[in-house]
Amino acid sequence: MLQSIIPLAVDALANAALIFFVAVGLTLVFSVLRILNVAHGSFYSIGAYVAASVGLWIVGAGLPDWLTFPALLLSAAFVAALFGPIVEKTLVSWTYGKSEAVQVLVTFGLFLILEDLQRIVFGIQSVYQDTPMTMLGISEIGGIVYLNYQLLLIGLAGVVLVALRLFITRSRTGRLLAAVVADREVSEALGIDTQRMFMIAFTLGVFLAAIGGAMATPTTGVAPGLGADTMVLAFAVAAIGGLGQVEGAAIASIIVATAKVLAIYFAPSLDAVAPYLVMLAVLLVKPYGLFGSGSTRKI
Amino acid sequence: MNRTLTLSGVALIILALAPQIFPFLQFTLTIAIAKGFAALGVALLLRAGLISLGHAMYYAIGAYAAAFMAQKLGITDFAVIMIAATVISAFFGLVFGLFLVRYRAIFFAMLNLAVSMVIYSLASKLYGITGGTDGLRVAVPTIFGMELSKDAFDGVLYYVSIVLVVALGYLIHRYLKSPLGNALSAVHSNEVRLEYLGVSAWSSLLTAYTISAALAGVGGAIAALSIGHVLPEYAFWTESGHLVLTAVLGGIAGIAGPFLGSVFLELIHTIAVGFAAEAWNMIVGVALLVVIFFLPRGLFGLFERLSGQKATDGEPKL
Amino acid sequence: MAHRTSIKTLLAATALVTSASVAVAQDKPASLDVGVFTFMSGPAAAYGMPGRQGAEVVIDMINAAGGIDGVPISATFVDEGQGAEGVISEYRRLAEEPETDFMIAALSSGNCLALAPIADQMEMPTVGWNCDSHQLFADAEHPYFFRPNGNTIAEFMAYVIYFLDNNPDVERVAIINPDYSFGHDAAEIVKASLAAFKPEVEIVAELFPKLGSSTYQTEVSRLSAARPDVIFSNLWGGDLENFVRQAAPRGLFRQSQAVFALGESSMNNVDMPEGVIVGVLGDGWWRSPDAAELGAPEFAEAYQTKFEKAPVFPAMKMANAFMVMKAGYEKAIEANGGAWPTDEQLTAAMEGMTIDTLTGSMTFRADNDGIVDQVVGMVGSVEGIEGPVLTNMVRYDGDAVLPPEGEDPMAWIASLTPDFIAAMPKPGSYE
Repeated sequence: MLQSIIPLAVDALANAALIFFVAVGLTLVFSVLRILNVAHGSFYSIGAYVAASVGLWIVGAGLPDWLTFPALLLSAAFVAALFGPIVEKTLVSWTYGKSEAVQVLVTFGLFLILEDLQRIVFGIQSVYQDTPMTMLGISEIGGIVYLNYQLLLIGLAGVVLVALRLFITRSRTGRLLAAVVADREVSEALGIDTQRMFMIAFTLGVFLAAIGGAMATPTTGVAPGLGADTMVLAFAVAAIGGLGQVEGAAIASIIVATAKVLAIYFAPSLDAVAPYLVMLAVLLVKPYGLFGSGSTRKI
Repeated sequence: MNRTLTLSGVALIILALAPQIFPFLQFTLTIAIAKGFAALGVALLLRAGLISLGHAMYYAIGAYAAAFMAQKLGITDFAVIMIAATVISAFFGLVFGLFLVRYRAIFFAMLNLAVSMVIYSLASKLYGITGGTDGLRVAVPTIFGMELSKDAFDGVLYYVSIVLVVALGYLIHRYLKSPLGNALSAVHSNEVRLEYLGVSAWSSLLTAYTISAALAGVGGAIAALSIGHVLPEYAFWTESGHLVLTAVLGGIAGIAGPFLGSVFLELIHTIAVGFAAEAWNMIVGVALLVVIFFLPRGLFGLFERLSGQKATDGEPKL
Repeated sequence: MAHRTSIKTLLAATALVTSASVAVAQDKPASLDVGVFTFMSGPAAAYGMPGRQGAEVVIDMINAAGGIDGVPISATFVDEGQGAEGVISEYRRLAEEPETDFMIAALSSGNCLALAPIADQMEMPTVGWNCDSHQLFADAEHPYFFRPNGNTIAEFMAYVIYFLDNNPDVERVAIINPDYSFGHDAAEIVKASLAAFKPEVEIVAELFPKLGSSTYQTEVSRLSAARPDVIFSNLWGGDLENFVRQAAPRGLFRQSQAVFALGESSMNNVDMPEGVIVGVLGDGWWRSPDAAELGAPEFAEAYQTKFEKAPVFPAMKMANAFMVMKAGYEKAIEANGGAWPTDEQLTAAMEGMTIDTLTGSMTFRADNDGIVDQVVGMVGSVEGIEGPVLTNMVRYDGDAVLPPEGEDPMAWIASLTPDFIAAMPKPGSYE
């Protein structure tokens, strides 16, 4: 019995790690800015494209293979630095205080622009770079061969979760962010530079999306359309966990991944529907997600 | 107001004559009208400050209802198909609405998205009913027992659609002028005060939501009959996003706005496909941002301003 | 620059109505405008772009040789990656333009199923360059839609015959196909063929990942756990490449014999282990002995020059679709006393036509379904040729593996016995 449960658990966690990276940035941005960033999936796929391209360049230029690991991280940082501040300052900040319709539409417009921008810059053929995966080799767990890279991702997801929690509760910037989340007006009255906080939070969100995409590239190719698919998955996970709940996103990732893995093992025809069925089941019982609470109605 | 009426009249005449001069435009314009109906539905909700990121599901439900009746139930009459597809979409709107209109702001958007993605994945999964990812074919319907060629039917469909624009447009206009319709903007501006007046925000919104689903269903049925094939991707979330975009681009203040936005987008698309197919989404995205930033009343507002009309106070805004 | 004025079309139409029996001389167009539908974006572009490139090369070749009766071909490419709604709209839009003469559509079977009735409605002669679904002509006749390649029955049964001959001890078979009708149909055909030829074989896993999935890790675990002797898959394009990349390092192909029905189109993009059974869904392997005599090497050379890589079978299928169109026009022109044919004359000429394509012989049956041979082989290498090639090949006669016209295909498979396989040529018999 245990023999067959272990691979299931490993598969579920490996899936959950990938899904967590997709959703955590979205939920973080929402918790601070109260904005649902529809372009989040695009930052994920841009992160993937940049990481794969940089990796290909490193290998092509004959540089040492291990450089592809830091390259994943640096690519994500580059994407965050390139897009985070400028998008927040020019587009997103304009929507603060405006209706949700405007906020969603502005980020949807951005999503449309970024989708074509990727096609123009990176072309339409899928891009793929697997050096980090092949370098790490394989392990056998419960009679089934896994990539060590998959196991690394599980660990990394845990690290990101803990690091985010520590950042929010321990660091000065994180605490200021938490204050802004708790009460925007009072924070401003207390002299917190909320504009700066928003920019930091948004950029962090872009970084988390981009690192998710970058981390996925060594085992999956990146092709046009990834952004839109990623976006709905991120929506689903964030909604299940409760919008704005970082730990909620982690638990929701595990739930969705478990549902998906169980479907593949025992009811393959339900594979693609599984995340949405879980989402519907959760939202029917808890419409604001497992750990979320609704905003008060406007007076 | 008279000026708006005259403008709309002129636009309708142009619409009616266009296929006579450019026959290849007929199909494009039929689809534009179909999407215009769905966008009008979305615009109704936007008046109440509610943004639905899932309304393409009602468009899809209308389309699938039409296809299902024609293919699986053997119902071939055009009028029956149109009416039944509308009623079915309205029914789904009512059922989902019972649960959805309790929520506001981003949660309304998200929950609509959630439901629409379930509909989308069910449509791609239930091979027996929906034909899975291959979708369903839609045969050419009969009109009062008459069998028509596809060409002849397309012509009929086009002019029926225009008549529907006028008829349903008038009904929606009346609805918006009624207390029930006025309550929508009130939900947006001050929901609590509305309830103090003894008006239930919930029931006003449920009415609007059901009407908006019915409108999307009309559009879906027209599209299904015109294209001749329905597919799960009708319900994909980006389609819902495009419907909101169409409504906002055209302007949500009047009935004509969403149709204007839709015709504009489809025409631009037809032109862009030739030389800028790669950048089509980008063009639309930029247009959307420009409208939101500089033309909050949409293209319709722009036309009104150019024709020397001022914005009326108290009209719905985003 | 309309080459026919609308008045002339109107006159022609009126003439047709008033004197349908009189052959009408159609004006020869300045160019033969063809709408070509393929995937140019998304993961499916890995399969669709070679198709487009094949079209470009064969158009250049035909035009350099004087076009069709002196009329050069001019193509408009439409991206199927925009989704079927857009594809259908685009087809209708093009078909309504008076300039458009012919369509070559489409890659995805869903699009083929959607476009076939529209081709009939709009009376637009159309060749399905990559339409394999046996359901295409199952429910309805499509007088304007032609499919010059074998259907899914012949294609997937050929693989079962091959791997049963190659791995006679097979007991456990797993299937991993994309989650749409192409994948589900193939699974049904493989299962039905196994039930007919070797009923004791057990299907140990049947997986249908979403089309366009990027991650197959859980599927790989599931397949490893099932320990199949043979893994059959008709994943294709980017999906197949991602699957191979994720499965190969995890040892799946050392454990099981893999059969990739559309493998040839991906073997230059991804490191496919030698010995994997692959094929071309038809006879479109340009290095085959038959193809060598029919002009495929010249095509491949032109392709290599233009795109700096060898053509894969989607490119051959596309090129063959153009050869079929060309042959159809030429036959119709001859039948019409040298005058340019109307659409009706063209489709009449194509009915029952037999022609040599670049890779073999193709015959249209009365239902417009094409009969072509099936070439299956294994990934291998040959001295003097860079990159992987097909080895240990077999060429199954197209007629033999295609269900007789009008017969229910699945019932036909069920009526077969192990003797059917015994009569077939063996792997390695075609080199």
